[in-house]
Amino acid sequence: MATTKHRRRSRAFGATLLGFALVAAACSSDDKESVSDDTAAPTSAASETTAAGTDTTAAPDTAETTATTAGGGGDTTVAPDTVPVDSVASEGDPVVGGSLIMGIEADTSSPWRPAEMVCAISCHQVIRSVFDTLMLPGADKLPHPYLASAVEPNEDFTVWRITAREGVKFHDGTDFDGAAIVDNLTRHKTALLTGTAIKSVTSIEVDPADPMTAVVTVEKPWATFGFYLTGQIGYMASPTWLAASDTDDTLKSKPVGTGPFVFEDYKPNEYFKATKNPDYWNQPYPYLDSVEFVPINDALQRKQALDTGSVNLIHATNGQVITEIRDNAGDYSSREITADGETAYSMLHVTQEGSPLTDVRVRCALAYSQDIPTLNDAINLGVNKIANGPFSPDQVGYLEDSGYPMTQDMAKAQELIAEYKAENPGPLKLALATTTDETNLVTANFQKQWYEEAGIDEVTIDQIDQGNYIVQALLGNFQVFQWRNHGGLDLDTQYFWWHSSSSLDVGALALNFGRIKDPDLDALLDQNRASADPAEKKQIAEDVNRLFAKQCYNLWGTYTVWVVAGNPNIRGIAGTNLELPDGAGPANEGSGIAGTFYPQTLWLDNG
Amino acid sequence: MRYIGQKFIQLLIVLFAVTFTVSLALSALPNSKERILAAKSVNPANVEAANAVLDSLHLRDSQIKQYGYFMKDLVTGDWGVTFQGNQSIKTSIWDGLQISLRLMVYAQVIALLLAIPIAIISAYRNGGFFDRTATTTSFGMLSLPSYILAPLFILLFSVRWGWFTSRSENTSLFDDPWQHFKDYFMPTLVLALPLAATYMRLLRADLIATLQGDFITTARAKGLSTSRILLGHALRPSTFSLVTAAALNTGTLVGGSLVVETAFGLNGLGFKTVVGIFGNEFRLVQITVLVLAMIYVFVNFFVDIAYGWIDPRIRAARALT
Repeated sequence: MATTKHRRRSRAFGATLLGFALVAAACSSDDKESVSDDTAAPTSAASETTAAGTDTTAAPDTAETTATTAGGGGDTTVAPDTVPVDSVASEGDPVVGGSLIMGIEADTSSPWRPAEMVCAISCHQVIRSVFDTLMLPGADKLPHPYLASAVEPNEDFTVWRITAREGVKFHDGTDFDGAAIVDNLTRHKTALLTGTAIKSVTSIEVDPADPMTAVVTVEKPWATFGFYLTGQIGYMASPTWLAASDTDDTLKSKPVGTGPFVFEDYKPNEYFKATKNPDYWNQPYPYLDSVEFVPINDALQRKQALDTGSVNLIHATNGQVITEIRDNAGDYSSREITADGETAYSMLHVTQEGSPLTDVRVRCALAYSQDIPTLNDAINLGVNKIANGPFSPDQVGYLEDSGYPMTQDMAKAQELIAEYKAENPGPLKLALATTTDETNLVTANFQKQWYEEAGIDEVTIDQIDQGNYIVQALLGNFQVFQWRNHGGLDLDTQYFWWHSSSSLDVGALALNFGRIKDPDLDALLDQNRASADPAEKKQIAEDVNRLFAKQCYNLWGTYTVWVVAGNPNIRGIAGTNLELPDGAGPANEGSGIAGTFYPQTLWLDNG
Repeated sequence: MRYIGQKFIQLLIVLFAVTFTVSLALSALPNSKERILAAKSVNPANVEAANAVLDSLHLRDSQIKQYGYFMKDLVTGDWGVTFQGNQSIKTSIWDGLQISLRLMVYAQVIALLLAIPIAIISAYRNGGFFDRTATTTSFGMLSLPSYILAPLFILLFSVRWGWFTSRSENTSLFDDPWQHFKDYFMPTLVLALPLAATYMRLLRADLIATLQGDFITTARAKGLSTSRILLGHALRPSTFSLVTAAALNTGTLVGGSLVVETAFGLNGLGFKTVVGIFGNEFRLVQITVLVLAMIYVFVNFFVDIAYGWIDPRIRAARALT
């Protein structure tokens, strides 16, 4: 035990020193992350960024996204001492009471209005305390009613009836009814980013025959619409508060929902506090008296804050932090919530006029040139698993062999580049964008070395501050761009990232960052959206995976591992602690968003 | 009176130069308008909506006009809210200023309390064991930047001994004095130690020079005690450099304690300024810089006054001009 403590102290110091050295080097609050974790200062709409240079972007639906190291690959084999550990003592009867402070990776939203939130992982984690979603995914990975009492489509999935749960009131006393649902969804429809996600919705109105029901009509059959109600679009805010905050900006940061906790106070980059909602509709939740979320951008500092008692709970993707928690599993109550999580990769702008990346040979040459296992060992201490496509192993569409090169083949890469150069004489140059984070810069330097060895004449690395990073992506101002994204439970939650309908011109804010315009991909996405057949959907998702491998639209890195770790007396982190109201069993772990949990289920075992 | 009038005019010139330069610099940030539009949920491609938002913020006007609107808003107190977080800018700056002022005051007080006695003893025992030890220690303190001291303190006080948490919660002194002490102990010490070393070096050097003056020899010949000579005669004329350095550091500490604020999770003015720059919070940054510039100018104004107290010859010279 003494040895363990000594080791932890030594690591803590090393971690601290490294963290602060990076702060000093970067001399900016935006540059605090050290080893490939993400966090940061909030940026623009649709995104938040990481202090560490890894970036987290907002996802308007259930998925959350994060720009991050392009590589950060992972070993396909896991060393014996780094076996994932879920260390939660057996959970007895929940105890009511107590408070908890959680260190989160970023202050990720502003304002706290569902249609405008900049929602990455931390944002979802925080706002779930105040807002409930209309639906929640179950362990069966299908959406089930939660705040709504029923969500029913018509036969061809073009009309969805969403019925509000009886007797529920918002924290300000406003009734939750069909009009509240209509107000919230209508705001999404006209919002900058979430509007893109539900572009196909043609009308949202209260059922004249039933004031508790909202009727949503969509342009084309949309069998997977329910998934959108499990995420950002499903968060229900008080219409009274929304109307008041339309004219008073300061109210936008004081959310009013129906959730298990009532908003108390928020200071950007400082804290978000909420207290127990004693009238919560879904009793016996919540168990805690209060929760507080404190953004600590640097993962090593976050872990240190946990070890020194500043916070009681953290989440992290950092390889060093995860390794330390695994090595000292007995000291923490921890759980790796990684299922359906995101992939770290490099986005390519594939339709920019005059860019060599419009040629599939150049894109695939870059893919062949990458040595992700080496990078993963260097950056993530081998914690992550090497990615071969957009879908992580738990997601529908994952393939053991997608056709994407898993190992470096520099000869093949050089051959493809030579072929391209023979047809396109002149210097071949590429710009690679990364954040100001030191770890991401290391990744970028690996990439530069690989690409130049493959035959690219010059790769310039552009370090962009976090605040500007997401805007560059939205504007489409890049060639190669480090990123992290594509978690989620259904292929449809990726629709707006890849469909040509959200691929706008460079200079317009668009969620299809790489401006992919591929009729085959569009067809597959549309087909999936209309289908409720699991077998067919699986086939479609796998075809999408293979298409990405064939076209090399993105350069895959690793599947991100998330750990949630806290004091040994914390219970209720697992998604299985939340029973769905429709009796379908427990809710899905993290609601399809890796690294998150349901705050209402947490309790403290002080016995 | 005339002197104060001159200083006031200087103050206005400095404030204008600083705020106008900052305004120009902020407008030169890449994608500044796009970032604001994104924060306001408006797509730049929607020209009509984009222009409406930019017009409401006067961002399509000339720089001169924009500066005019800034001054108008400043005077009328209509400072607006931040784009990120929708916080009242007044509240945000006030919150940050309180933290930074506390850090500055605590650090200055501790630095001076450490530096002055050590410098006096060192100067009096110039070349002795105490002086050599103090000099070596001060060089050590000067060589340790805050990004080394901060983790070192966290290691010792938080990780090893568990006396303090690694993050400060900014508890009010009046709500919980003990917690307030625990919140500010480490950050204050990290700031104060290098300052104390600087002050000690400056004061020691000036004292050594002063102690060689004729009036000190006279005082000794008159049989005055050592403490009376040191404290009553030598100290005051030796504090020019110390007062100047302390004044300059006052402004630096209020706006430039970014590393310490970041290390201990204190959302001070330095931290807010940097986050504001990256978040394109132009109004927050403009006003913060104005506040910092005012602190610099006022502190230096009072230091100028203090020079007259330290050395009556300066007061006499001013009276002649």
